[in-house]
Amino acid sequence: MNKTKLQLLGQLLNASVVAKVLTGVEWEKEGGNKHPEVGDAIQLKSACLMVTRVNGAELHCIEVAATLTQVEKQLLGWAVQQGGTRPNSSSGASDLERQARRLGEWIQQSVTAGEWRAEVPDRMELRNRLFDGMVPFLLLCEQLEDKEPSYVELEKTIRSFISDETLLIPLREHEWLILSSDRVLMEADSEDDEVLGHEETKELLATLAEGLHQLITGEWGGECHIAVGEPIIPSESVIRIVGTLRETIFLGRKFHVGMQIHLPWLVHLERLLSGIPEMVRSRFVEEMMGRPDLFTDSETVSTLDAFFSMDCNVSETAKKLFIHRNTLLYRLDKIKHEAGLDVRSFNDAVLVRILLLLYKVTKRK
Amino acid sequence: MAGVRLENVYKKYAGTDKASVTDFNLDIQDKEFLVLVGPSGCGKSTTLRMIAGLEEISEGKLYIGDRVVNDVAPKDRDIAMVFQSYALYPHMNVYQNMAFGLKLRKFRKDEIDRRVREAARTLEIEHLLDRKPKALSGGQRQRVALGRAIVREPQVFLMDEPLSNLDAKLRTQMRANISKLMKRLETTCIYVTHDQTEAMTMGDRIVVMKDGFIQQAATPDVLYNHPVNLFVAGFIGAPAMNFITGQLVEEGGAVRFRATGFNVEVPEGKAKALRAKGYIGREIILGIRPEDFHEEPVFIEASPNSIVNATIEVSENLGHEMFLYLNGLGKDNVIARVDGRSGLRENQNVKLAIDMNKIHVFDKDSELNIFEA
Repeated sequence: MNKTKLQLLGQLLNASVVAKVLTGVEWEKEGGNKHPEVGDAIQLKSACLMVTRVNGAELHCIEVAATLTQVEKQLLGWAVQQGGTRPNSSSGASDLERQARRLGEWIQQSVTAGEWRAEVPDRMELRNRLFDGMVPFLLLCEQLEDKEPSYVELEKTIRSFISDETLLIPLREHEWLILSSDRVLMEADSEDDEVLGHEETKELLATLAEGLHQLITGEWGGECHIAVGEPIIPSESVIRIVGTLRETIFLGRKFHVGMQIHLPWLVHLERLLSGIPEMVRSRFVEEMMGRPDLFTDSETVSTLDAFFSMDCNVSETAKKLFIHRNTLLYRLDKIKHEAGLDVRSFNDAVLVRILLLLYKVTKRK
Repeated sequence: MAGVRLENVYKKYAGTDKASVTDFNLDIQDKEFLVLVGPSGCGKSTTLRMIAGLEEISEGKLYIGDRVVNDVAPKDRDIAMVFQSYALYPHMNVYQNMAFGLKLRKFRKDEIDRRVREAARTLEIEHLLDRKPKALSGGQRQRVALGRAIVREPQVFLMDEPLSNLDAKLRTQMRANISKLMKRLETTCIYVTHDQTEAMTMGDRIVVMKDGFIQQAATPDVLYNHPVNLFVAGFIGAPAMNFITGQLVEEGGAVRFRATGFNVEVPEGKAKALRAKGYIGREIILGIRPEDFHEEPVFIEASPNSIVNATIEVSENLGHEMFLYLNGLGKDNVIARVDGRSGLRENQNVKLAIDMNKIHVFDKDSELNIFEA
């Protein structure tokens, strides 16, 4: 439920209304029933909690800071059921959408439970479409609520972009899994008889993700993140790939603010750093930084980012930054002088790259 | 076709105090080729992305034609975009790439075919229609990206550094192609670049931006000859305008500019304005474009009151012209652009005359051009 709707509801009830996401366990702890449905409510000490949407293991609720009468609760529950939120399933949906939503709910539950090896069960109608090689994309669309595409719109657009065999599976709010036949990779290769190399495949996947991103933002605007993985057999590994792609987007957004295409094979270092305890990270940054204000200078940060993205190649970096080679050398020398680390030597470059990644994360806290 | 109007537009990102774009007001005429230029981080791409609908407008109004489009989705704004990273769809051939946007909008097949072939003819890529992007060169890919935008026949074209990925030679060629194309199509175009040569050669009008603010919006000619402040004066022109800090003094009924290596007379017309604005006896910044230094004997003879002497530290001969990096004038190097056949060499002492009618004078505190204020 968006802010405007919450505010309106607050005005109607003369109480503050906030949105909350609970797990089933938390719901039960608050005194709720085991299998909550949309419209179910619990009266707490000074607030009333009501389910507005069930999304796998997540319960989207509103918390009204007031004691509601039985009639008020019933009326509110009825309103919520009638479409106080975006429809998350069934009513008016096609068979395909219903099947995709069911699969999405199962994927979501399995991911939450950490069942990484779970295979798609027989009861899922779409199971028979998941035995061939498919390219997985995870799409996180953060348009304003009123601009967010519907399942039908998005599915149609993506199918015309990739192929008719593409499946669109809603996961959490704003999050979609796209599975498209891996034949799309062969179609992208101009020399049809050749087998695609590993690096070539990755390059194609990145371009496809970029095209998809351009298409979606060009149609609906807003912020949109996409992660793409190498082809999989979804019936066996859909849970694992969703976990990997979610982690990739999480790491990408954490360490590379501004980037919207995230590739699992480019975040190995970020994954490693993310696992280091906060205290150890902070100590490392403190000990290594000769000058604490070094990275507060945006020019230094953008220079280093470009330098590392160009594999420490001075000429290519200068070209990318539209500056003269000597200007770049001057900036790198300045960093060496001020921080005591020469990024043109391998060992120092590794340290500065790690420092820069950690600094970006700690700075935002 | 339509014009675009931005009224008091702001862009603020969550969690930041400073706006990326501040109080942006601009009226872009129908069929105008407008260039947004400025250093990186100045807000030019953000402005374009707001017009495209890729970024929310935090405050203010955006009109395309007569319609306020703040809340209109990008697909419904009737615009077409070309980006620096022209992500051609790798699994589609050139024809399909160009046709895709129309197919999505359910255009009839024969109409799609007509538009694609016409755009391909315009861009001279008809022979590439069956190829996949992988088999194209950088320049060809860029033309396909342009073709994808052209077939939409939009009200407004938005281009964000579309030539940045091309090499210098191709860039010059494509620059001319885009200019010609836009004139032929007679469509409004908003073009973002960091490259002032691109801006000067392509734009009907240029908007120079810095730190999210418009510094000046004017034709290339006005920007070059009448910059409103130090930033615009230094940003437009290559090599950049020389800035020398010095003092204006009244001597024998004339106003003179004095600084290290300079004791030159300000022409009466300009002197009058400086007197009227109370700058005599004060420190100012003098702006001289490199081409306003002259080494020709005739010019030197005719300008006895604007002679300077300097030593050439470095000379760069480009054949048709030569850049002289001069010592002894002001605190920093001063650059002069002279004829490539002048025969001047490094370490040589040189006498130059300044075309004082073309000088600019800036207030030292406000950095505004005193003659334009």
